[in-house]
Amino acid sequence: MDEFAPLDCLLPSGIQRICLVILNQPIDERYFHVLWSKAKIRACADGGANHLYRLTEGRRESFLPDYISGDFDSILPEVKAFYAEKNCKLMETPDQDLTDFTKCLAIMVEEIKAQKLQIDTIVTLGGLGGRFDQIMATVETLFHAQKITDLPVVVIQDRSLAVLLQEGRQHHLNVNTGLEGKWCSLVPVGSPCLTTTSGLKWNL
Amino acid sequence: MDEFAPLDCLLPSGIQRICLVILNQPIDERYFRVLWSKAKIRACADGGANHLYRLTEGRRESFLPDYISGDFDSILPEVKAFYAEKNCKLMETPDQDLTDFTKCLAIMVEAIKAQKLQIDTIVTLGGLGGRFDQIMATVETLFHAQKITDLPVVVIQDRSLAVLLQEGRQHHLNVNTGLEGKWCSLVPVGSPCLTTTSGLKWNLDNQILAFGQLVSTSNTYDDHDPKEGKKPVMVITDNPLLWSMGIKPQSTNH
Repeated sequence: MDEFAPLDCLLPSGIQRICLVILNQPIDERYFHVLWSKAKIRACADGGANHLYRLTEGRRESFLPDYISGDFDSILPEVKAFYAEKNCKLMETPDQDLTDFTKCLAIMVEEIKAQKLQIDTIVTLGGLGGRFDQIMATVETLFHAQKITDLPVVVIQDRSLAVLLQEGRQHHLNVNTGLEGKWCSLVPVGSPCLTTTSGLKWNL
Repeated sequence: MDEFAPLDCLLPSGIQRICLVILNQPIDERYFRVLWSKAKIRACADGGANHLYRLTEGRRESFLPDYISGDFDSILPEVKAFYAEKNCKLMETPDQDLTDFTKCLAIMVEAIKAQKLQIDTIVTLGGLGGRFDQIMATVETLFHAQKITDLPVVVIQDRSLAVLLQEGRQHHLNVNTGLEGKWCSLVPVGSPCLTTTSGLKWNLDNQILAFGQLVSTSNTYDDHDPKEGKKPVMVITDNPLLWSMGIKPQSTNH
């Protein structure tokens, strides 16, 4: 039986091999260090680089992303210049129909293939707060992600985690990492969902 | 032609007659004063009362809600005791299948009828931040709201406003209050939406908005002559479609 533990990525002793995407939202420092140290590839989507730059002040050279992608309308000039000078790949992706996050993920998937890495999960910091349309855009990216990779894409901000469960297979979510909060939720974003669950207080 | 100005409620000189619901999120003080002073009925959903209590410290008697409803698992005992002692109606609504917000709205609709008030819009503070499931619950409430009232229910937090556009009618959104930020968005939250718009930078022409296909975020308003103001945004959809928009940063001058 395939089990997936959504919060395993935040356990220092977690077993999932991960990659990390940083979006344009304040970075939760308590998560950042665990995720950064475990991630095989680390990327920023546009303004995510601003938050990384700010958070790592004083030791920025120890926290250089593998690439920064986006339409670059959010990244500050000094931040862009800094990371360019440190030889981080800067990949401008001007496509208007896809969000910065979607494009960053697509690059991540290509990089994982190109480097022939064994990865279990792509973890994203940010995406669940701030501008309301950007929260919705995060959800849209989770839908697109299913078309470009089989890897689960987990989104974490503040005290929420979100992941899109595919149709047509039985999901077994391990919720015993010890990091689980009290609440959980199933939301049919996009269309009605015929659903059956077990293990919840109120099952379907 | 019916026009609706989503941000009219935040204009001190706005013409909409409103009621106010406060949810369990930090209250934007710059919006609070305008909305509270204009609202004919003011209510808190559960923990919203905690935020009201904190914000109005020193002059709480001047900011008493007409009622506080919810399952009362978030409201602090001292807050509940304070408002009870001031004779605010406390209405416990333990239904597990409906959110505190939905239940608070249902009570609001009844109160509007009972008092025979002429109301144009129900405005909500909070609901678009914090716990992710609660943000989704806000959207769910907007769907339920369409079944219990014809009044638009507008949700405002931080610098975002959201309102659910009904299917089957032409919406004309006035975006000329001067409070509009740069971005706007149309999101088919519950099901794909066959959509046509005008007045946006990236319009839809009888196209399907659907998650995984096309969702309109980071849209903006059509270019326009600054002397003339923005054209109304026209939207028509065959399923409920969530409109959201940015609010310009404001000072806290009163």
